[in-house]
Amino acid sequence: MILARVDGHAVTSIGHASLIGRTIVLCTPIDENGASAGAPFAAVDPMGAGMHARVFITTDGSWTQGTVHDDHSPIRNQIMGIID
Amino acid sequence: MKPGKVIGTVTLGVRDPAFRGGRWVVISPMGEEQLTGKNRSDVSSAWSLVAYDDLGAGVGDEVLYVEGAEAMQPFDRPIPLDAITVALLDTYSFTPPSGDA
Repeated sequence: MILARVDGHAVTSIGHASLIGRTIVLCTPIDENGASAGAPFAAVDPMGAGMHARVFITTDGSWTQGTVHDDHSPIRNQIMGIID
Repeated sequence: MKPGKVIGTVTLGVRDPAFRGGRWVVISPMGEEQLTGKNRSDVSSAWSLVAYDDLGAGVGDEVLYVEGAEAMQPFDRPIPLDAITVALLDTYSFTPPSGDA
């Protein structure tokens, strides 16, 4: 699991079928104090996390394949919770 | 998934049969400076990589790519692949909170 902050979003119309129509956010990993701690990455957001929300993210592709209902999905990162 | 910019293509003369028909692109990972536009250079300081591409990404396109075991998931047979493009980016926004840039 990765602790991260939502810093933006991305829009795509050409991509793997399992990605089309899903909300994609750009996140920055953060440390325990909330400071940036690594290179930005993208994740699927089924929860509607707001801008600069702190979230935690799974990098388990096989879990994500289940939630997008596609056994051939290459998606790894998905928001699993929004931190209060 | 990580954001990256396509900075080149790779054409193989001799290749493993598993890769027949594959198209390859060279990707430079986009860091915070590239995403925010502070650094307009196409090539970031991170190591560039070669990825399989079946979306038709061209030089200059911004893409999302996946590294690791998930890269071969779209195929119906195991192939020795560990990076693949998964989306061409139409638009994106990226604005870290000020004071933490």
